[in-house]
Formats: sequence, C-alpha cells, structure tokens
Amino acid sequence: MTGLRVPPGAKHPGQQAAPELGQQAAQRPGPPAEAPDERPAAAGRSPFGTAGWLRWAWRQLTSMRTALILLFLLAVASVPGSVLPQQGIDPQSVQQYYVSHPSLAPLLARLSLFNVFAAPWFAAIYLLLFLSLAGCVVPRTFRLARSARALPPPAPRNLARLPQSARHETGLAPGEALDAAAALLSARRFRLRTGDGWLSAEKGYRREVGNLLFHLALLGLLGAVALGGLFGYKADRLLVAGSSFANTVTALDEFHPGRAVSAADLQPFSITLNRFTASYVTSGALRGQPSAFHAYISYSAEPGSPVRPYDLRVNHPLNVDGVKVFLIGHGYAPVFKVTDGTGQVVFNQAVPFIAVQQTGLTSEGVVKVPDASPQQLGFAGVFLPSAVDVGGQLESVFPAPDNPRVSLVAYAGNLGENTGPSQSVYQLNTAGLRKLPIAPRPLAPGQSMKLPDGDGTLTFTGYQQWVSLAITYDPGTLPALIAGMAALAGLLLSFFVRRRRMFVRAYPGADGATVVDVAGLVRTDAGGGFEEEFDGLAEAVRSAHDGHGVTAPAAALAGTDNPARTDPEGE
Amino acid sequence: MHVNVGLAHLSNDFLICTVVLYSLTLLAYAGDFAFGRHSSKAEPAAPEVPELVTAGVTAGVPAATAAAGAGSGSVSGASGESGPVPGGGAVAATPGLPSAAGRTERGRGSRLPAGAWVRVALALNVLGLAAHVIGVTTRGLAVHRVPWGDMYEFVTAVTCVAVIFFLSLMIRYRAYYLGLFVMAPILLALGLAETVIYTPAGPIAVALQSYWLAIHVTAMTLATGTFVVGAALAVVYLLADRYARRVADGRQPESVGVFRLLPPPEVIDRFAYRTVMFAFPLWTFGIMAGAIWADQAWGRYWGWDPTETWAFITWVVYACFLHARATAGWRGRRAAYIQLIGFGCLLFNLLGVSIFITGLHSYAGLS
Repeated sequence: MTGLRVPPGAKHPGQQAAPELGQQAAQRPGPPAEAPDERPAAAGRSPFGTAGWLRWAWRQLTSMRTALILLFLLAVASVPGSVLPQQGIDPQSVQQYYVSHPSLAPLLARLSLFNVFAAPWFAAIYLLLFLSLAGCVVPRTFRLARSARALPPPAPRNLARLPQSARHETGLAPGEALDAAAALLSARRFRLRTGDGWLSAEKGYRREVGNLLFHLALLGLLGAVALGGLFGYKADRLLVAGSSFANTVTALDEFHPGRAVSAADLQPFSITLNRFTASYVTSGALRGQPSAFHAYISYSAEPGSPVRPYDLRVNHPLNVDGVKVFLIGHGYAPVFKVTDGTGQVVFNQAVPFIAVQQTGLTSEGVVKVPDASPQQLGFAGVFLPSAVDVGGQLESVFPAPDNPRVSLVAYAGNLGENTGPSQSVYQLNTAGLRKLPIAPRPLAPGQSMKLPDGDGTLTFTGYQQWVSLAITYDPGTLPALIAGMAALAGLLLSFFVRRRRMFVRAYPGADGATVVDVAGLVRTDAGGGFEEEFDGLAEAVRSAHDGHGVTAPAAALAGTDNPARTDPEGE
Repeated sequence: MHVNVGLAHLSNDFLICTVVLYSLTLLAYAGDFAFGRHSSKAEPAAPEVPELVTAGVTAGVPAATAAAGAGSGSVSGASGESGPVPGGGAVAATPGLPSAAGRTERGRGSRLPAGAWVRVALALNVLGLAAHVIGVTTRGLAVHRVPWGDMYEFVTAVTCVAVIFFLSLMIRYRAYYLGLFVMAPILLALGLAETVIYTPAGPIAVALQSYWLAIHVTAMTLATGTFVVGAALAVVYLLADRYARRVADGRQPESVGVFRLLPPPEVIDRFAYRTVMFAFPLWTFGIMAGAIWADQAWGRYWGWDPTETWAFITWVVYACFLHARATAGWRGRRAAYIQLIGFGCLLFNLLGVSIFITGLHSYAGLS
C-alpha cells in the first residue's frame, strides 16, 4: 500500500538520463514497502454531487496518507491501555484507581479508558484502518490477477543509461543473438517480451504477491480475533487440593463468554486437584524464587468417561476437546475448625488465602462462620509459610511451608451476608461486627484460640495448597496462527524478492560483428545484491554468444547514444 | 538448576574486557577523525545517489576509485573490486559532480580507504566482539540455557547482536566513518548493563521455563540488536543530512566538521532502511512466537499486557516508517524521525514497562 509512487531516484539527475524508465516505473504498481503502489493521492478533482462526495471520501480513506495517520492513531490509542489499569486484565487495580482518584476515575471511565481495547473509538480506528487497507489491497489483488500474463515494457533505447549495463560483440546475427539470450533468460524463469532488435525480461512478481498476501493476512487476523470473540470463552477457577469441580457456569469463579456462547456450550469435563507441589531456590541471591510448580490433577472429559491423571505445569496446559486448562496461580489455604458457643462444630474447611508478598508468600484471607451461634463469627488473618521472628515481629522469609503460622483477628456480630451487595469471599464487612478483645497470638498447626465470653474456639488444624486455573476456549487460535504465518511469509516475500528487469539489444556494429547491449534494472532500493546477479546474467549471455566469432571482453558503455538503433515500439 | 559459578565469573570478566576494548575502539575511531589523514578538499559533500553513479560504470569493471579519481593523498584503491580497467573504464560522471563516482560506487558508503587509525579501531572492535561473544556464551553455559533470561543478559546479548550486525555492514560497505557514531551508544548500553542492571547468574522464573524462551526471546534479541543499529544510523543520517543541507545553502564550509567524512546522507538512509527491513520481519516473528507462547502459558495469544501492547505499538510505528519511506513527501527526514519514534517505543518497552508498569512480562529482575 502506498501513495504516490516515486520512481526510484526521482530526485536525482538520473531521471533525466533515463526519462522513459521513470515513466514506466510510475505507471506500475510497485513493491510494498518500497514504492508500492497505486494508492491514489489524497488530493483529487473537485467533487460534485453525492456520488462525487462519496468517491472523494473513499479516495481519502484509501489514500496512503490516511492509512499512515490511522496507523499512527492506532499506536497512540494503545498507549493509555498500557498505562491505566484495564478492566479486562486487572479489575482490582481499576477499583484501586477509583479509590485513589475519586474525581478523575469516572471521567476516564466515560471515555472507556479503563477498557481501551474494547472502546468504541479504538474500534473505530482499527475498523477504518482495515477498511482503508481493504479498499487498497482488494482492487490491487484483482489487478495482480488480471496482469498475471502482462508483459514487461519494451526495452529502452539507450541501454547504457540504465543502472546496470554491459556490452559485448558476437559473430551471431542480431536475431540469433537475441534468441540465445531469450532462451537463457527464459530458462531462468524471466517473463519475456521481444521486439525488433530488442528483448525485455522481467522477474520477481512474487514481490507484489507477498505484499498483497501480507495485507490480506492482516484482514484474516482480524477475522480470527472476531471468531474468538464470538465463539470463545474464558473462565477462572480456584481449586484447593483434594477438591473437584465440573466445568459449569455455577462452578466457575469467573466466566467471560463470547457473544455467541451460552452455558450449554461449555465442555462438560471435571477436574480434581490431588496434590500441588512447588519448589524454590534455597540459596544464593535468588533464594525464594520458584523453580518448579506441579499440579497433579485427575480429569474426566465428560461424565462417565474414564478418569485420567495429568501433571499440570506452567507452559504445559491440559487440553480437553479443544478447551485448554492452565495453571496460572497458587497459594495456601489454612484449614480451620470452628466450634461455636453451643459446642457445635460449625466450620471445618480450608480457606484460600491470597499472597500479598511474593518472596515469603505471606498471605491474607478471611474466615466467615455464618452458622455460629449465638452470634456470627468472622476472622481476618495472615498466613506465614516460614515464620521467623524479626525484631519482635513475625515475618515469612521463604515461600515453602517450613514453619507455618497463622495470626488472626476475631470478630463477632453480623457478617452482613444477607443484606446489601454480594460480598467478596476475601473481604470481611466489619460494619456489623465488633472486634473481640483477644491478644493476637500466632498459631502453629494444631493450636487453638479460645474466644472470649464463651463464643467458641477456632483451631488451626493444618493447611492445604490451592491452584488457580484458567479455562479458555478460542476457536480463532488456529485461524490466527495461519493468518500470522501467511503475513510473515508475505512480508518476507515482499522484502526480499527483487522485481528486476533485463533488457537486451542486438544490432550490427561498424566492423560487421553484432553488438549486444545487456542492461538490468531493479525496482527497489532495498534488496541489494542485484549487481552481482546482473553481472552473472550478463556474463551468461556473453558466454552463450561465445564461440560464434568475435567476442570482445565486456567493455564499458559510454553514455552516448547509438544512432544505428531504432525502436519501432519505443516511446 | 545448578549454576556453574566459575563460568559465571568468567563471563563477567570477559564482559568487562569487552567494555574496555570497545572504549579503546571508540577512542581509535575518534582518533581517526582527529588525527587521520583525510584530504577533505577532494570530498564534495553534495548528496549523491549511488545508482546514478553506478549507471556510468560498466558492470564488472568498476571505475577508478574515489581516492584515485579524486587525487586524494590517501592510500589509493578504496574499492577492493577495482582492478585493471580494460577498454578504458570510462566513468560517465555527471558534470558538476566530478569525483563522486567511486566514492559511492555500488552503494558502498566509503569515501576513503581505511587508514591506520581505522585499521586499529577495526582490530580492537573485532577483538572486543570476540570477548563479547565469549562473555555471552559462557553466561549461557553457566546457567544451562539461552543467555537472555533477564534484563542484564538481554542487554548484553542485544548489544552483541548489534555489534555483529554493524561490523558486518560496516566492513561490507566500507562505511568506517559510521563506527564512532554507532559504537558509542552500544558501548553506553553495555556499560550501563555492567554497572546499573547487573544481575548475578541464576535460574529463571518458572514461567520462562519453556523452549519458547529460545524462540521468542531470541527473535526479539536479534530484532532489537538490529533496530539499535538502525536507530543509530537514523541519527547519523539526520546529522549528515543537516550538514549536507547547510553546505548546500552555503552556511557552512564543506571542509569543516566531522560530518564531512561521512558517506552521503542517501547512503546512510539506505543502510538504515535495509537494517529496518531486516529487523522488522524478525520483530514480527518474535511477536508471533510470543503470541504462541502466551497461548500456551496463559491461555490467550493476545491479552494487551503492557509489554504486548508496547511491542504492538513498536510494530505499528515501524510499519509506519516502512510505508512512510515509500511515500512521496515522507521519505528522508520525516521517515527517519518516525524510525526514531519506533525505537523510542522499543526502548520504553524494554526499560519503562519493566520498571514502572507491572505486567505478566515482569521478569527483568529489576526492582
């Protein structure tokens, strides 16, 4: 895609030296990055009428300048998406932003700045860009198809003025010399055109093919992304060791279906986490850095089908009928047993705590005991996997559970679960609760804390580990991969295939021998290396003429015209 | 995995040697500008496009070289291709550009042959590169993986790629006067890597333990190293272009200033363009490999993670550059500025995003 094609070197004096060449070049679609094409210039005739305006608008849209501006806009529009927290990526940070910037946040939200990549203005930019792209590339594709058999232009009059040229003499008649050259170039897959005393040949059409393939593949990529957005889904599930879940909407913690996905479309597999292990670097500067995670799971593809084991690791997802399950997080879930004031065991389960600090995996969480009587109980706690006394305060110094301790603050009253908005399981609404007056004391596994006033007892019986799993289904993945590979192939073709032309003229010289001029022209200033190819081709033509009488060594062509030559087809 | 401490130390020593050798290289390149024997009068600074020059030169028979043609006092034979010129070897030089022919022959950037200072600089540069390669390799051997797993390793590897790419470009096209301008930022980056962001050898994060590290990050390393050279060339182009325009306007005598020794701006521009054309497909491939890896590690091939977003922005800006350079009214200075913006985005992704923005790609080891 591009705008005005500038003939290579239009600004330099060479243009005067070979004007016919410049004209030819300007008429043809060029290579991509190079001199592409025929995008109309943004300017145009003065439009009249609705049709005129539409045509004008379409020309504007498909012009190279508009495409460049849209491309720039796309880059600029992406920036806030990386600077501001995004709803789709990190909703908690968005909440945090609302708290820290209460007046600014609603304004940003109205501008979709917390959801940049789904924002209408972002979509407007890329849809316009793709429309502009399609408006340029699709007609060019048809043109390329039509020109599949088009012939190269006639040879210029004065081959000595081309960037590459060579001359030799031969005993062959001019016609025979041209035939020999034609046979040679044809064997090297040049497309040929012959005329009276001249021959022109062209090669490297795959450059334009590559250019178009690249841009069409980008359109394909957009389609693949849309396919995933319509028919794919993403979900999250936190799973404590020893427990199971089935892939149903109710069992998932988070569920983000595509626009055309319903609950019935979920693949009905189930997964049990048997055991989770994590290993860490134990010494040196990187002490505490994780070195391996293993989630040993059992899964069954659908109810009634056999249960299979799988070692789920980072970078090694489980694939069940096209749905992928990923290990994306882990943590500790201390197990608590709570006996209420009436002596009933009202709570006995593992409670996932969330890591708030990575090097020691210090984790926080809350325990809610709604069934306790006489009043509901709540606990906010910290779990330290490897607790060490640092200056009178307990800190976790290592992520492995070498010396687990739990420290809890106890509350009693009304948890407020039946009123107001639904609560996070990781937060305690302390509005209806009162803090119980007990000195915080870190508990080791097996230890208990007795609540005052006969409210009951909490026992820290041990801990489990949990994993968080991401479940994704995206039918656009394979099409996106294919489009991406096609784009890359197109890019490479359009960058590294040279579109080049060879011209040969043969005419009687002064001494009775035939003079053969060979010239070459490459239609790009990027590729490089054409000099060598031309030298090889010129040499090959000369050798083909060899052994047929006088063959002078390649000699420099002076920049003078040869009056003996005429070209009936020349311009 | 066990880290081979001996090899890790060896790597550090070699990389320190590299910094020292590159510093000496830079001094030698600078010394050439200061003390090298150049016959500046013979070097017209008017811009010149190589194809034109070659147009008058018979293929296979390079014309007399610049140095010879210009009657330069320097060693003659700038172009190794020059040889006996049968049949006269007439140079169809355009009037008004008398000695332009050989200097940019076949797009080569050299105006002058390598003098003693340049030869010393080249020797030091190659020696430094050898130490650099050994330093990077031993680091990889010490940690049993590709040696670009954290920011420090990445910068040492990227600068290594940049030096390899640039040296081959410079030697192939005899563009020795670019050495000072391109090696300076590379030395600066490597020096910062050794002092500010040094990270001791160790195992990498669990998320990076995949063969895709070798594919994705290697592609990104190669692309980044090449983009570094492209950006340095863009800066040199802008300086050389400014100098050429000032000379053309008569605002500056052509015999003054370091830029008189540079190749004509068009040649530098073409180097920069070819460099980007080499790097852009690599960057594209790197993004694609990253997407495949992300699909395998995180369950989506594209998630607008900050690093992904900036890789995308960088890609888009370089795409702008490639299109702009092919569009009338945009090539030249404007295109060079776009390329520099693209490189700025790349740098921001490397440093800014790693330091200021938390994302899934936070492996840099910078805190």
